Amino acid sequence: MQVYLPIAEMSVDALLLLGIGFGVGWLSGLFGVGGGFLLTPLLMLIGIPSAVAVASAANQTLGASISGLIAQWRRGNVDWRMGLTLFAGGLLGSALGVQIFALLKRWGQVDVAVSLFYVVILGIVGALMVRESVTALLRRRRGAAPRRKLHEHTWLHGLPYKMRFRDSRLYISVIPPLAIGFGIGILSAIMGVGGGFMLVPAMIYILGMPTAIVIGTSLFQVVFVSANVTLLQAWQVGSVDIVLTMLLLAGGVAGAQFGAAMGTKLRGEETRALLGLLVLSVAFGLAWNLLQTPSRAFTLSPIS
Amino acid sequence: MKALAHMMLVLGSLFGGGMAWASPITAELSTDRVEISTGFTGASVLVFGATQNPLGGDPPEDLIVVATGPTQGVVVRRKINVLGIWLNGPSTRFPEVPGFYALTATRRVWEILPEDERRQYRLGFDNLRLRSEGNRNPAFRAALLELKQADARWQEYAAPVSRAGERLFSARIAFPATVQTGDYQIEVLLARENRVIARQELSLRVERVGTAADIASLARGQPLLYGVLCIVLAALAGWLGSVLFRRN
Repeated sequence: MQVYLPIAEMSVDALLLLGIGFGVGWLSGLFGVGGGFLLTPLLMLIGIPSAVAVASAANQTLGASISGLIAQWRRGNVDWRMGLTLFAGGLLGSALGVQIFALLKRWGQVDVAVSLFYVVILGIVGALMVRESVTALLRRRRGAAPRRKLHEHTWLHGLPYKMRFRDSRLYISVIPPLAIGFGIGILSAIMGVGGGFMLVPAMIYILGMPTAIVIGTSLFQVVFVSANVTLLQAWQVGSVDIVLTMLLLAGGVAGAQFGAAMGTKLRGEETRALLGLLVLSVAFGLAWNLLQTPSRAFTLSPIS
Repeated sequence: MKALAHMMLVLGSLFGGGMAWASPITAELSTDRVEISTGFTGASVLVFGATQNPLGGDPPEDLIVVATGPTQGVVVRRKINVLGIWLNGPSTRFPEVPGFYALTATRRVWEILPEDERRQYRLGFDNLRLRSEGNRNPAFRAALLELKQADARWQEYAAPVSRAGERLFSARIAFPATVQTGDYQIEVLLARENRVIARQELSLRVERVGTAADIASLARGQPLLYGVLCIVLAALAGWLGSVLFRRN
């Protein structure tokens, strides 16, 4: 069934969009990531112009994450205070990221730069996650007592402006969460994603938050950052396609609930290993595209 | 059905006029509006009409139909390999190219008309005026032609000019789903002995209608409001989904 997208100015198969939405939504609920890092490349792959793909994926991420956020919030897995702190940094970061994006566009290298960003960031994050979770799984299998310290003190704990995040059982400086929010805000504006896949490991490994709280809290940040990106894109670029968003969401909201239900049955290490493998495979796919000889030596794009 | 009735009416009036031909050629379109609604998957428009003299008589007369869409600016970039990675390299800008171009005729145009005539009426890809800026390599122009044809926005002899009897003719112009909105010109030329002896210009409007049009005009006219609406709609859909699909 073909449907016409008014902003992308093209018609696509509605069932294909529903299917993509369902798959990405399912992962969103399972791992607590918005799924933008999968959605944006998938949409570009089926021929949606990259500006529309980025903007509409951000809008879909907002909707899909809200149903995930509600599901997590019901289970009491959201640290609102931490979420707001991260978001404050994210607002500033995404504002700067939009400027960088505009600069790349002027150089005519947006597609390559975005792909390179994906390959590098997803590659690093995915490799770290897989390594960490495999180590944890092996340690558990060997039966050795996981001698984890309750608090590992690093230089991060020497920073001023300490704040108590009761739900995360942390008493730390606000500077690390603000900086993480800021850095991910920059990357999410350039890559057109909510940033959950980077936020989840950052919260676990840098801030030391408990895994159960991490997923709900990252969804909180993703919802607000993607709302900000949607607004900026609609207002300044005019590239949000609401018909595309709604089709993706229709599949996505169903998928997210199934994913969230299944996520509660998985152990933390297994969830992280699976997410790590998924992130790595997307990175490999994009790297392959960059290295492979293109099927056409020339590209055609409208002058904007 | 409406188009067919319209066609019969036009043809009826052509023959009702008997021998009083005002022009050696009379042509009409099956519609003067292509509407892009939410279910749009492309459209086909019929150009039809009649000639005063029998087509292919002696000396032979030929018909040429050219459809041209609104002009647009495009950039053609060549991919280059830097350290194993494919980047966008040198580029050429074509500030004014037809967004849509379709040519069809009773024979190949180079068999019908000499080069200067073909150039004047822009018949065939070779005779399109494609002003370029930047890299002068002719490969960029060739790439433009190839890419435009690949998505059916530029067509040469995609559908034939078909004849019925001696004087009636028709040709189909197929617009792809990615067609631009705007005003389109359809020119019907009658050629004899290496020159154009008559021409008729028809026009066609491609526009969005219904929900698609409302969304596009809101997004353009009130982008901030549209952005807020997108956020609210996505949030509502997400919330509704969590209620409908709750799994416990």
